[in-house]
Amino acid sequence: MKITYSELKGKSPGFFIVLGVLAAIAAIGLGSAYYMEHEGHHVTGMSNQIVWGLPHIFALFLIVAASGILNVASIGTVFGKKAYKPLGRLSGLMAITMLAGGLAILVLDLGRPDRLVVAMTTYNFKSIFSWNIYLYNGFLLIVGVYLWMMMERKMQKYYPYAGFVAFIWRLILTTGTGSIFGFLVAREAYDTAILAPLFVLLSFALGMAVFLLYIIIAFQSCDRPLGDGLLQRMKKLLGIFVASVFYFVVVYHLTNLYLTNQHAFEAFILLNGGIYTFLFWVGYILIGTIAPLAIFYHPTFGQTRHAVTLGSALILVGGWSLLYVIIIGGQAFPLEIFPGKEVIESSFFDGVVASYAPSLWEFLLGMAGIAIALIATVLGTRILPFMPDTLDDAVVNPQAD
Amino acid sequence: MDFLTDAAGIKTMTQLALIIDLNVCVGCHACVTSCKEWNTSGWAGPMTDFNPYGEDPTGTFFNRVQTFEIGEYPKTETVHFPKSCLHCEEPPCVPVCPTGASYKREKDGIVLVDYDKCIGCKYCSWACPYGAREIDEKQKVMKKCTLCVDRIYDESLAKNERRPACVMACPTSARLFGDIHDPDSEVSETIRESGGYQLMPEWGSKPANHYLPRRKNRITLHRDELERADNPLKKEGILPEPPSDQKTLDETTSW
Repeated sequence: MKITYSELKGKSPGFFIVLGVLAAIAAIGLGSAYYMEHEGHHVTGMSNQIVWGLPHIFALFLIVAASGILNVASIGTVFGKKAYKPLGRLSGLMAITMLAGGLAILVLDLGRPDRLVVAMTTYNFKSIFSWNIYLYNGFLLIVGVYLWMMMERKMQKYYPYAGFVAFIWRLILTTGTGSIFGFLVAREAYDTAILAPLFVLLSFALGMAVFLLYIIIAFQSCDRPLGDGLLQRMKKLLGIFVASVFYFVVVYHLTNLYLTNQHAFEAFILLNGGIYTFLFWVGYILIGTIAPLAIFYHPTFGQTRHAVTLGSALILVGGWSLLYVIIIGGQAFPLEIFPGKEVIESSFFDGVVASYAPSLWEFLLGMAGIAIALIATVLGTRILPFMPDTLDDAVVNPQAD
Repeated sequence: MDFLTDAAGIKTMTQLALIIDLNVCVGCHACVTSCKEWNTSGWAGPMTDFNPYGEDPTGTFFNRVQTFEIGEYPKTETVHFPKSCLHCEEPPCVPVCPTGASYKREKDGIVLVDYDKCIGCKYCSWACPYGAREIDEKQKVMKKCTLCVDRIYDESLAKNERRPACVMACPTSARLFGDIHDPDSEVSETIRESGGYQLMPEWGSKPANHYLPRRKNRITLHRDELERADNPLKKEGILPEPPSDQKTLDETTSW
C-alpha cells in the first residue's frame, strides 16, 4: 500500500491546549532570559569557574538529539531500509526544529545575545566555536533542501544525494559539538579525541529516543495508526545505540583510570563528586543505561509499547545526566595549575571544587528551548504534510529490508 | 620607556610581562586592590562587584592571590601566589574566540579583549589553562589583565609611573615589569639570574609572565668571623646585668 502524508487538522481543543501550554513555557523562558540579560549573570548560578551552566545542558541535549533524529531519515535514504522511509519527512522536520530550539537557548545564554550579528558576520576561522556556527547553519540549510527534495515530486530523484550529504554533514556536526570539549587542552575532563565519537553515539541514542517518544505521543493524539512492529524494530536499534554510548563512556573512564595524573579527576566523578557522582551512577548508568536495556530486552514486557515509551524516556534522563556530568562536572573540578601543592586559602575560591546551584531562571530558559522545538514541530506538521496518515504494520512492513 | 625600539632605535619584537618574586610576596593583596582601583575606573572598567560586603561576594578581578601550603606538617611553608593573565606567547584563549575579540598585540605581546566584539560565549574561559579569564557579570563580556595598557603608554604620567598599577603598589617590590624579549632588560636579567620560571610550561602556551621561586638564603660563617677584632675585653657574650636596686640613669641625672 502506498504511504500517504497529510497535515494535522489542528482544530481540536487538545491541539490548542498543547500549543497554548508550550507557548506559555516558551514565553516564561524567554522572560527569564530577558531577566538574566537585564540583571546580569550574577542572578544565575554561573561563576568564573562554571561558565556554562544548566542552559547549555538543555541546548546541547537538543542539538545532539537533533542530529540524531536525522538518522531515522538517513537509515531510509542512505542505507535503503524501506521500513524507515515513511518516517523521513518527520525526521527531517524534527532535526531542524530541535536544532532551532537548542540554538535558541545557546544564543539567549550568551553574555551578549544582542551581538548575534557580530557572531554571524565576524569569524575567527581558527575557532572550533566558529566552525560550529557554520555546521549548525549548514545543517539547517542542507536538511531543508533534503526535505524539499523529499517532498517535492519533481525533485525526488535528487533526494538520495541530498540525504547522503545530510548524513555526512550530521556526522561532522556532532563531531564538531564533541570537539568543542575535546579540543580543550587544559582541563582534566577534556583534551581527548574520544569525546567526538562519544557525542556522535550519544546523538544516535538521544535522537532515536526523542523521535520514538514523539511519534508514540503524536500518532496516538492524532488517532493515526502506529504499528508495534515498527516500534519494536526501532527499539532494537536504540538498544544498540545505548550500549555503544556505554562502550565509549567505559573506554573514556578506563583510559583516565590508567593515567595516574587523572586519578584525582576520576575519583571526583566516580567516587566523591557529590551530585556529579550521583548523576553518573544513578542518572546515567542505572536509569539511562541498565534500566532501558533491561526493559527493551525483557522477553515479555520488552515487546509492549509501554516498554518502548518508558525505555526511551529513561534514555533521555540518562543522556541529560551524562551531559551534566561531562560539562558541569568537568568545569567544577579545579584546574591543576600547581601540581603537588595544596591550596589552603584563596580570597577568590580558586583551586577548590567549584559549586554550582542552577537558578530557576536558567532552568526556565532551558525548558523554553524544548518548548520552542516542540511548537515548531507541531506547527510544522500542521502546515505541511510531514506525518504519514498511517504507520500500521500492514502498510509499512516493519520487516522490510 | 619606548618598548618598540632598542637603544639604537631599531624596531624589535617586544613581549611585555610581569615577573613575580614568590620569595618576597607577603600576600598583602595590595596588587589586587590597586589593580581593581585603576582598572575599574579606566579603559577596562567598570569591574562590577555584587554583594561586595555581604556573605557571598562576587566580582571581577584581574589579579588574584592564592595561598599554598608546601610540604608535610610540621615541615610546611606558605607561599602566596599572585595570579593574573600571563600574556602567553601562544595564548590558547585567542584561537578559540569565535569572533576574534580575543587577540594578541603584535607590538608588545599584550593579550587583550575587544569588548565591543565579545559576544560573551565564555569559551575562552574554558581554553585558558590558568583560569585567568573573568566574566564581568554586569557587562557580560570577558575581561582580563591588560597589563594596564592604558597606563604604560600614557605620556601625561611621569616616566616612573608608566608601569602597571600592581607593580607600583607592591610594598615589597615583588613585581617587576618589562620586556622579556630584550636580553638586557631588568626582567630578562632577573629571569636568567634568579631562576625565573613559567607556570605549567608543558601546555606549550609559553606564558610571558614568570615567577621567581622561593629561595632559602644560607650563609656559612666561621667562628673567627663571629668574634669582633676590636673587642676591648677580648670576650664575647652578654654583659652582666646590673643589680636591680641600682639607680637608673634618669634617677641619677637631672636632664
